[in-house]
Amino acid sequence: MTRHLSPLERLPRLPSIVRERVEPYFEALDVMTAVKDPKIFASLGPSGVRGLILQRGKQGVPTLIGSKHKAHFDWSYPSDQPEMLELYRRAKAGQWDGERDLDWSISVDPDNPEVPMVPENFFNADKIREFGIKLTPAEGLRLTHSTVAWMLSQFLHGEQGALLAAAQVTEAVQFFDGKLYGATQVVDEARHVEVFHRYLDTKLDKLYQINDNLFVIIDALMADSRWDMKFLGMQIMVEGLALGAFGMLYRITKEPLLKSLLGRVIQDEARHVHYGVLALREHIRTQLSEAERQEREDWAFEVALLMRNRFLSYEVYEEWFEGLLTRAQWQEVVNTSPGLELFRQVMFSRLVPNLRDIGLLSDRIKPYYAEAGLAKYFDGVSARELDETTMISALDAAGSFEIAAE
Amino acid sequence: MGTLEQLGLALTTPVRRRLEMLRRDLSMVGGRVVLGRRAPVLVDRSHAGARAWAHTIPRRPVRVTRVVHETDEASSFYLEEMDGSPIEFEAGQFLTFSVEVDGVTLRRAYSLASPQLPDEPRHVTVKRMPEGRVSHYLNDHCAEGTILHVLGPSGNFLLPPLSGRPRHAVFIAGGSGITPVMSLLGTVLATEPASRVTLIYGNRRREDIIFAAQLAALRERYGDRLRVDHVLNAPPRGWTGGEGLLDPPTLQQRFDALGLFGDTGPSDEEDVEVYLCGPSPMMQAAHEALRARAVPAASIREERFTQPEARTEARVYSTTPQPMSVQIRGLHADTVVKPGQTLLEAGLEGGIGLPFSCAMGGCGTCKVKLREGEVEMDEPNCLSAAEREAGYVLTCVGHATGPCVIEVER
Repeated sequence: MTRHLSPLERLPRLPSIVRERVEPYFEALDVMTAVKDPKIFASLGPSGVRGLILQRGKQGVPTLIGSKHKAHFDWSYPSDQPEMLELYRRAKAGQWDGERDLDWSISVDPDNPEVPMVPENFFNADKIREFGIKLTPAEGLRLTHSTVAWMLSQFLHGEQGALLAAAQVTEAVQFFDGKLYGATQVVDEARHVEVFHRYLDTKLDKLYQINDNLFVIIDALMADSRWDMKFLGMQIMVEGLALGAFGMLYRITKEPLLKSLLGRVIQDEARHVHYGVLALREHIRTQLSEAERQEREDWAFEVALLMRNRFLSYEVYEEWFEGLLTRAQWQEVVNTSPGLELFRQVMFSRLVPNLRDIGLLSDRIKPYYAEAGLAKYFDGVSARELDETTMISALDAAGSFEIAAE
Repeated sequence: MGTLEQLGLALTTPVRRRLEMLRRDLSMVGGRVVLGRRAPVLVDRSHAGARAWAHTIPRRPVRVTRVVHETDEASSFYLEEMDGSPIEFEAGQFLTFSVEVDGVTLRRAYSLASPQLPDEPRHVTVKRMPEGRVSHYLNDHCAEGTILHVLGPSGNFLLPPLSGRPRHAVFIAGGSGITPVMSLLGTVLATEPASRVTLIYGNRRREDIIFAAQLAALRERYGDRLRVDHVLNAPPRGWTGGEGLLDPPTLQQRFDALGLFGDTGPSDEEDVEVYLCGPSPMMQAAHEALRARAVPAASIREERFTQPEARTEARVYSTTPQPMSVQIRGLHADTVVKPGQTLLEAGLEGGIGLPFSCAMGGCGTCKVKLREGEVEMDEPNCLSAAEREAGYVLTCVGHATGPCVIEVER
């Protein structure tokens, strides 16, 4: 997994009309060749083709994804996981109503500089200027509007993935208390779909297509027949990504409806990740061979990198800058933007400790995380040690965050 | 995959699905590499349908498949849903068309004139009205392939179920009032072999008669089961049909000529039903003439076309927001009516599930009881004098001039 010169970086001499057409494929190749382990490649490869090459999520028709998991029944109703039962109790008590509990009468004007959706310096405007593009303040606001709508659209698509995956996981999990808890998560995810969709539909009036890389992750874990891979993918990785993104936006937005919506959602997500950690910790420690454990450890690492490197709002690029910037230049803009830096920080501070807690952060893989600059999160607090309230108060304590200019 | 079928290949559904998917996959890659075309960035939300939280009155697109000029002044527009399926409706109902003219959204009701039969293409027929912005817009701008936006169908000008005996349906129509009547009479003739139809149809000149040829064709087809009595106000030389305006004396004369509503009283073999649709003077005259013949009110049905063109220009009812309380299904909800909003718009925006259908004062679905406060309505609308007297208002054309409390009774 050493740094290689990506096919993308070998491209710049092509005429731009050709480049624009083939760039996405080199990008896909780039993602796929970065995966060295054949087993991981076999598990992510087909999803990569469906998402990155065939763009199944963008064909304008519903997507059908087959799954071969087994529904696990137990007719003796064992009380097998007291901690999950406790989560079930908390989930029942913590239900809220997206219709009643949020103030939908708040009017949202994404182009109003007085109540910014995200701070002005969310993007690296200097970089954009460096590449020869000057945006007026009004354009800057509209670009931010697009970006926020893009992020929330991806949240929505991710929540749809979570809704369907949570239902699969509820079928497949072998803990009976886990099934009861899982049912509450299905309801939670439905509510998240409802509120994100409503926000986009009535407040931002815009819905982006699913990002190809997000499609790859959802496709891979929906199609995998092993329940623990679904768990790992959805409850740890995608929920971790979601917590990172929600947490980042929660901290920086000044828009009151969005802030209260995210606050509610984050408290639900805290339970979801906690559940994932409980279920996998036990399973990985007691049920898997070392080879199986290593496979999952590598898989998690690859997906973490995919999430870190590839969640790059190309749809916003295509809408705004196609033909003006190359995809590589756009990558640079996004990768050096303060907003994205904060997103990564929040995401990995949650994700890495959780991987440690479930036993997927052995000394074998640590150097690779360190190489990716993630060593500082090794000793963080895992979801098992955090409940809903501490999660949100930690974000509040971090303050109504102004992104520091770099 | 039309080409494969043309080759005579019989494809099973799973194979067809796979081929469809392959075609989409190839067109994604081919489109990008060969044509330099990429997938759209945004999700197309235009066919998404009404949301539970709809903050505006939902409308949906329909496609014009054919335009037929019926007379100098009137054209028929054949319509289908965007997925190619026929528009579901009951004979006699209308669609509300929502049209943007000069930046203003205008809503107008046009009846579906087609019989309610499975394979019959659906059409509305629109006659140019003097000053009629929407009727001119449709006649000037609609062609095959045009996308229009509609609500509904709505309306209660329907055929009641048969009582067990066949019916004799008597229609009295004036001018463009013929449109729902065509749908009703065509449906009766095609689906009730023992029922019969009489139509008294008033127009100014012979060339103003909409559907003259279609009516003649129906006569050919159904013989004695259909009688058509054309009455012209300005008949051409040599005209042998009825003459005059459809006023009480002329109607009496036509009743006699057709042997309708005679002294012998109602027949035991059939139910006589009367359907009225036309300009208000004609409707009043018909009620008067029928009363004189002792036709029971219960056997008379009517469609009152409201004419929003006659409405006063964009009146300002209130310049300040007004609180509105809604009692609905035993529950209580509060919201605020902003200046320029109707009660319906304010309710929907506040997430209150107020009933409605045509949204232009024509069907009465949104009728509510005004418990407190004052509401003014755009006129004319379909609310009867008795309903107004009893304290009802229509939310779709109602404006709050002060705080108000309304109750949804159904």
